Amino acid sequence: MQLFVGLMVELLIIKIKTMNKKKIITIILGIGIISLFIAYQIYNKPHVNVLDVKSDIIITADKIIDDFSSDETKANRSYLDKIIKVSGTISELKLEKQKGIITLKTNHDFGSVLCHLSDQATQKINLLKVGQTIILKGICTGFLMDVILIKSEIVNKKNLNT
Amino acid sequence: MKTTYTFLICFLFIYNTNSQEQYLTKNGVIKFFSSTPIEDIKAENNQVLSIIDTSTKKMAISILIKSFLFEKALMQEHFNENYLESDKFPKATFKGDILNFNKIGGLETKCDVKGIITIHGVSKEIVIPSIFTRIGNTIFVKGEFGLFLEDFSIKIPRLVVKKIAKEIKVTFELNHKPYKK
Repeated sequence: MQLFVGLMVELLIIKIKTMNKKKIITIILGIGIISLFIAYQIYNKPHVNVLDVKSDIIITADKIIDDFSSDETKANRSYLDKIIKVSGTISELKLEKQKGIITLKTNHDFGSVLCHLSDQATQKINLLKVGQTIILKGICTGFLMDVILIKSEIVNKKNLNT
Repeated sequence: MKTTYTFLICFLFIYNTNSQEQYLTKNGVIKFFSSTPIEDIKAENNQVLSIIDTSTKKMAISILIKSFLFEKALMQEHFNENYLESDKFPKATFKGDILNFNKIGGLETKCDVKGIITIHGVSKEIVIPSIFTRIGNTIFVKGEFGLFLEDFSIKIPRLVVKKIAKEIKVTFELNHKPYKK
């Protein structure tokens, strides 16, 4: 490996010697600027925008909790880190530290689907009512007592005012 | 006779879960900080599940690794994929006994919680110094402690070793409410 790099450098030096100075400087500067730009872009890679991304899975609240409580490892494999659309009935709405949390009812005694809303969606939480059916889209991070979705967005805007 | 017993046991079980002995939060907050001269890294988890049983004086905490949010998406990716391997180990847990639980009252009370913490598939005994406040029907717990990455066999590549602190500072805020079904 070292030998190869050494050889490459030597070849480069020979080539550079045959070029004029101005050209060399522009090439080096160019490479430098481009690599800096790429590095900066990678370092500042944006977070996924849930609204823009097509959801991988569309599912009901009952089904997703069934899957997690029957075989968690398998469910983890199919749902973890995926953007999921979940439909269900709202059983609780609350604000915790200015962040909205929607609980979706399931047919299980203990578990439900907990959707932590994004900042944008939190502003619309006042328009929602307990008992209303809703579709939420969020990133599934796993199962504790409940299935947890983060960065959730409200999907069915049509029904928001009813 | 057998059926009566089963019925009685069932009844006792239901009675137990309904009485105000279990306190719970589903949206506790755990944050961690890594501070080096080169870079400060912090992440926050707002979906912490924590349960306190006042009869047994035990506390159990469970968190999802993927629920930690970072400022930079790239850091979050590295954290999940390379360091904590959250596909293999999706959860971190803590189970422990609250020492001197009976002292806890309306004022901030210092209490140690001694138990086992499991991160990245590695379990370790730990004593977490915490501050308990019991007001009305809530039990509020907060605290701060340090964790060493090497204790949990979390390997950091040599290239970035200077950017990540060896000891990670962890803070938590858990606001438990009586658990009702």
